[in-house]
Amino acid sequence: MIRIRGVTKVYDRRQILRGLDLSVDAGEMVFLTGPSGAGKTTLLRLLYAAEKPTTGEIWLAGERVDTMKRSGLPQLRRKIGVIFQDFKLLRRKTVMENVTFVLRFHGIAPREANRRAYKVLKRLGLHHRQSALPESLSGGEQQRVAIARALVYQPRLILADEPTGNLDADLAAELLSLLCDINYQGATVVVATHDHALLESLPARTLVLRRGVIDYDGRWPP
Amino acid sequence: MMRHAIAEGWLLLRSRGLVSPILALALAIPISLAGVTISVRQWLEPVIDLGDREGVVAILLHPRLDESGRRAWIDEQTRRHSEWRLVAVEPEELAQRMSAWFPYLEELLEREGPEMLPPMVEIRTRDPEGVRELKTDDEVLAVGPTSSVNQVVGRVAGRFATVLFTVAGLLMAGAVLFAGVWVHLELHRNAEEIAIMRLMGATESTVRGPFLVAVTVPALLAAAASVVITVVAVGWISRLAAPLGLAATGPSLMVVVAQVCCAIVLPLAAAIITLERHATTEE
Repeated sequence: MIRIRGVTKVYDRRQILRGLDLSVDAGEMVFLTGPSGAGKTTLLRLLYAAEKPTTGEIWLAGERVDTMKRSGLPQLRRKIGVIFQDFKLLRRKTVMENVTFVLRFHGIAPREANRRAYKVLKRLGLHHRQSALPESLSGGEQQRVAIARALVYQPRLILADEPTGNLDADLAAELLSLLCDINYQGATVVVATHDHALLESLPARTLVLRRGVIDYDGRWPP
Repeated sequence: MMRHAIAEGWLLLRSRGLVSPILALALAIPISLAGVTISVRQWLEPVIDLGDREGVVAILLHPRLDESGRRAWIDEQTRRHSEWRLVAVEPEELAQRMSAWFPYLEELLEREGPEMLPPMVEIRTRDPEGVRELKTDDEVLAVGPTSSVNQVVGRVAGRFATVLFTVAGLLMAGAVLFAGVWVHLELHRNAEEIAIMRLMGATESTVRGPFLVAVTVPALLAAAASVVITVVAVGWISRLAAPLGLAATGPSLMVVVAQVCCAIVLPLAAAIITLERHATTEE
């Protein structure tokens, strides 16, 4: 599903990723961890083509991402569900609209979109807030809306950047169960996290990123 | 995608309630002005010389000039005024014209022959007033009328139309610029949402559609308003001329079609160009 070869990323002469090589098979669940500034978020941004690598190749589901034309990006991004660290919710849209608007890009009719969104929101305990605007939600609730939006169209690849950062233990466990369900149904899941409890709760492949290189690749704890 | 564009475009318009009527008015005023000017011009064309065409001034030369003297005088004037076209009127032709204009001279002309008439030259020029300078020429007996009422009224109307067209053009350019700037500002205001939508897989048409819908609504309003204003104004103006025996009129179908096209195409073109230039950078 993911193939990365010799990827480097330089910001203002500061090298964030240094010749990274990585391979993630379809249907795998992978945790990406490491200290702050190790390059976890940068790696995820390269994967959903928000940025291009300075050098190297990135392949997603058989398509080369780093050289992809702008016109090809929407199609690629519709295959990926991204849970952003800063949520990236539409401020003027309600919770329900935030979740359903991505379904419009997939050509799903409004009624069906509402049904699917309600189902995911209910699972994340947010169905009673479907008419609320993001600004009236707590950090944890906003994070759950971002999660619902990423999961609602059942993408083939899920990239989650600190998805449990604002959730309490119960909700974090519920989210993990949701990600596991989706992974069980065949989706590839990559979760960038600092949360050691989350890493310990699931015996999945874990990549430890340090100073822009993969320092450890195996089961947690090392 | 069309449903999304209409819904989001409508939200965009609702969030800036005054922009739509102001933009519609800004477009409708110059388009109406141009439409009224063209319609009134078309209506007056058959009765007033609006074309600023060449005028013809008749010059009577002194009878002492013989054939060769007349030719020398024509050559000299042609050399001095390259924009004049001088044509000698043969005595027989002049006699015919005199008989036609003044029938009571017919008998005299038959009796004395056309040779009794002074030599006449016609000067064709775009500036008939300039021919007046010949009044002081020793060889010139008389200079005919340098313009008609129709020509003068036509010239005034022509210049008035030019001024109105210029004003309409400037106002139109302002309105189109306004449409472009508004789209640019809205792009800037919605930059964060656009970036999020792109990250979620929105295509360019999904991103740009709402802005085009938001510009199309005031453009349609402007098209309707400009046609109504033109019909009413042209009818009212043309009725003023009823005492002259001219029938009241309305704008031609071509003018109406041109107005509708301008009202819709120009602001949409401004929006498309703005989106092309700025939509990809507002992330």
